[in-house]
Amino acid sequence: MIKTSQLNKSVKTAEAELEILRGIDLEIKRGETAAIVGTSGSGKSTLLGLLAGLDSPSAGAIYLDNTNIVQLDEDERAVLRSQKVGFVFQSFQLLPALTALENVMLPLELAGRDDARIMAEDYLSRVGLGERLHHYPRTLSGGEQQRVAIARAFAAKPLILFADEPTGNLDTATGAKIIELLFGLNEEEGTTLVLVTHDNTLADRCQRKLIMTAGQLSEAA
Amino acid sequence: MKSPIAASLRLLVRDWRGGELGVLLSALLLAVSLVVAISGFVNRLQFNLERESASFLAADLVVSSSRAMPPEWQEEALNTVGVTGETVTFSSMVISESDDMFLASVKAVGGGYPLRGSLRVDLGGGRYGADTPEPGYVYLAPRLVQQLDTAVGDEVYVGDATLRVAGTLLDEPDSTTGFFGYGPRLVMHVDDLDATGVIQPGSRVTYRLLLAGSTGALEQYKNWVEPQLVQGQRLLSVDESQPGIGATLERARGFLLLAGSLGVMLAAAAILVAARRFGERHTDQVAVMKSLGATKKTIRTLYALSLTWLGILAISVGSGIGWLAQDAMFTALADQLPGEVTRTGVTPYVTGAVTALVCIAFFAWPPLARLGAVSPLRVIRRETTIADSTRATDLLLGTFSLGGLMLWYSSDIKLTAALLGSIGITVGLGFFVARGLLSGTRQIGSSAGSVWRLALAGMQRRGTASAFQVVIFGIAIMLLLVLTAVRTSLLDQWRLQIPEGTPNHFILNVAPIDEAPLLQFFAERDIEVGDLYPAARGRVMEVNGDTLPEWGPDATGPRQREANFTSTDAKPDGNEILSGEWWAVGSDESLISLEDGFADDIGAKVGDQLTLRIAADEFVVTVASIRSVNWESMQPNFFVIFPEKLLDRFPTTLFTSFYLEPDEKYRVSELLEFMPTITLIEVDVAIQEIKTIIDQVSQAIELVLLIILVAGALVLIAGVSSSVDERLHESAILRALGAGRATLLGAVAIEFAAMGALAGVLAIMGSEAAGWVLQTQMLELDYQVQWLLWPLGVILGSLIIGSLGTFACRRVVSAPPLQVLREL
Ligand SMILES: Nc1ncnc2c1ncn2[C@@H]1O[C@H](COP(=O)(O)OP(=O)(O)OP(=O)(O)O)[C@@H](O)[C@H]1O
Ligand SMILES: [Mg+2]
Repeated sequence: MIKTSQLNKSVKTAEAELEILRGIDLEIKRGETAAIVGTSGSGKSTLLGLLAGLDSPSAGAIYLDNTNIVQLDEDERAVLRSQKVGFVFQSFQLLPALTALENVMLPLELAGRDDARIMAEDYLSRVGLGERLHHYPRTLSGGEQQRVAIARAFAAKPLILFADEPTGNLDTATGAKIIELLFGLNEEEGTTLVLVTHDNTLADRCQRKLIMTAGQLSEAA
Repeated sequence: MKSPIAASLRLLVRDWRGGELGVLLSALLLAVSLVVAISGFVNRLQFNLERESASFLAADLVVSSSRAMPPEWQEEALNTVGVTGETVTFSSMVISESDDMFLASVKAVGGGYPLRGSLRVDLGGGRYGADTPEPGYVYLAPRLVQQLDTAVGDEVYVGDATLRVAGTLLDEPDSTTGFFGYGPRLVMHVDDLDATGVIQPGSRVTYRLLLAGSTGALEQYKNWVEPQLVQGQRLLSVDESQPGIGATLERARGFLLLAGSLGVMLAAAAILVAARRFGERHTDQVAVMKSLGATKKTIRTLYALSLTWLGILAISVGSGIGWLAQDAMFTALADQLPGEVTRTGVTPYVTGAVTALVCIAFFAWPPLARLGAVSPLRVIRRETTIADSTRATDLLLGTFSLGGLMLWYSSDIKLTAALLGSIGITVGLGFFVARGLLSGTRQIGSSAGSVWRLALAGMQRRGTASAFQVVIFGIAIMLLLVLTAVRTSLLDQWRLQIPEGTPNHFILNVAPIDEAPLLQFFAERDIEVGDLYPAARGRVMEVNGDTLPEWGPDATGPRQREANFTSTDAKPDGNEILSGEWWAVGSDESLISLEDGFADDIGAKVGDQLTLRIAADEFVVTVASIRSVNWESMQPNFFVIFPEKLLDRFPTTLFTSFYLEPDEKYRVSELLEFMPTITLIEVDVAIQEIKTIIDQVSQAIELVLLIILVAGALVLIAGVSSSVDERLHESAILRALGAGRATLLGAVAIEFAAMGALAGVLAIMGSEAAGWVLQTQMLELDYQVQWLLWPLGVILGSLIIGSLGTFACRRVVSAPPLQVLREL
């Protein structure tokens, strides 16, 4: 489902060339759950961004569902994302001007679905927010916002879901609920799950645990 | 995305709820309604003023002839223009039942006379009328009623005809045109002309064909009739008949257009600021949408469509608001405005719509178009900045499009160039000075107290954004300064043009031996009389030995011209030498000084040899100078002036001018009785009219200025609010860290005041430059550096911007920090 070969990412800074990722080779199968862990600044978010096609690598190839996304231009990657990729972020990234329902409808509309509203309502009730469809993000708690974000990510029925520290902003109890939700939906939908986390409970729930150290990735024992 | 139209509408509705569209929409609305209001108002005003001055002719166009005109002329006029009238003017003795006689200036009227303006007649018994007299009836001027000792209902005799007095003529629109047919007025119907038998071959009669209609039709008729004119026949149009009024109107129009253009510039600035802010606020949203799979094209389509909806809304609602505004202004002025209330026509709305489109395409769209390029990476790396949403190319394009708009409004390259140039100065200087000073102030700030340090650090951190704000404030203040400065000097100079006591009567044809008695007459009555000038009627026959053709069928190129020649060794006040030199006092050379228009007509320049004829004498003179003459001054003005010694050789009559108060009008009859041989020209009515127009236009200008002021205020508000979000966020953090309200508000106030002071400096530099060009080049006024404005601009700039900014940021301290942090 996801495959990279010799993935490199370096950026030019004022002083020198900074190598963030060095030669990442990675393969994740359909329906697998994988956690990427590592110290702060090791390059986890950068890798996730590359896998999702939000940025382009300096060298190497990335296959998403057998398409080398490195060869796609930004718009083609966007189309691919709208069809196959979902996101959950540490900082939720809900649009403040939209209600919970509209936030969930957004990717469905972008994918051109007619049933956007029904789907969105369905997924919001599945994450337990059926009563708060018309609330704006600022009136929701952090945990509730993250549930909206999860509903948004799953509603478009992506093949792969990327999550960058989905519980990073939440207390342990709420984080646990979010984790249940993620894995529950993962099982129901058969979605491939790739998440970056500092949270060991979360990492342990995954089938695979990958460790990032200074731009290099290794499989945990 | 399946249906971009539906999606864009949803986006719009959602954004509206988010409160972000409000600013952009208001700015667009402001632009449209401003343009519609001003251009509608200017249109109506101009139309009314033209009507008003047309009433001086009682028509839009007049064909004047010293003999009866061919009937085809009128037929053609009816066919092409539609509405015609006629007048026949001559002098005739009028005799009353009591056998009193008086020489009257008779005007026989027919057709639709008057086509413009109206008669006012006292019909007796407290009734008043405006209709032309029926055949068999006449109206008499009050002076004639008095002289003839007659009354309404009595009979009077004009030549062989017996006519009945139907009323006293209080006012006629075309009383002041044409310096002929002196004496009090008698108005009769043309159908009675034959019965009078007064008009014989050789009698001095002026026939006029009056036309009124659309500009195009008039132009067509003009082109048709012009080649057929022979000597003694000419076309009179509003401007030519009343050069004073024409120039006054032109100046008023120029100013109103200037005001309108400034208004649009202000609105465009507001739109730019608003769109920039809109774009910045949407960056995160776009990043999220892109991460969810929206392509660049989807994003662009979405925002383009949103802008389209916005444009449609702004155009329709703005047109409505604009209409209401101009109507309100007009109604407020209606009592003072001359003529009937007119419609605005469609041009203002078209202008408004085009303005909206240009503003959207060149000011609102670029920052939004750039949203398409936002990196989706922003969703993971907050700090991924987007390139500054306003680029030099945008500004350049915007400036050009604005220039195009202004050129379109005013068809005036100078005006456009002056305004764009001054904006360029403000922007260019702005970014350099502002950035330089901003970094300088940081140095000072770091050694100052905490409030100051906070303020100056804030200003500096926002570097480009602050410079941008300073420039926007600077432009707004500059445009307002330009407008007030030009307005003040325009109005002042206008009012000075015709000061109290400007001579309102001219006396021509005073025989030299009558000089002393005439002066005595005035001395006894304590009436101040001007200098006496010699005058002789003469004609320019040849230029450099080439004989000029007479006025005739193919009326292009230089022509012979007749004029009153005068002589003086002192350059007349208000005349300006355009080329050549004025001669020395006592010069006995054969020199001549020409008015520039006259010089054009005969095709002469300085140094040319002119052959002139006065009476039977032909002689040659050299053109010593060409002058501009201030026709607005209503002073005696001459096309042709000689050195004193030169004219001494010819038989001359004298002329002079004097001023009469309205209640001294009866002195005119006394004077004519005392010296019947003189010719008296009464211009008191014309002067009164010009004064009225000046007063009215001044009021209109004040009103327009007020609207522009509001526009300026809106720009300032938009500029201030453009940084409110960031400030809110920042100070929420600062407050959370324990900063006091006073500290924060103080910092905000200092920051805005400092920007305001900077903007004030920029504005003054820009406005001095613009003011100079506009005043000297466009409005033809003198320019004075407004030194007082310099400190005033700085102080007012910092006060206004400081308080506006503090007011806009009051939430910085009033809103609970938690709420702020949650919202952003
Ligand atoms: N565009 C860029 N310019 C400069 N440095 C960058 C850029 N992108 C990433 N970096 C650097 O690369 C390193 C890896 O960043 P990344 O965000 O991937 O870390 P991370 O593993 O997600 O850390 P954290 O756990 O704190 O989120 C960091 O040191 C970061 O500063
Ligand atoms: Mg990270």
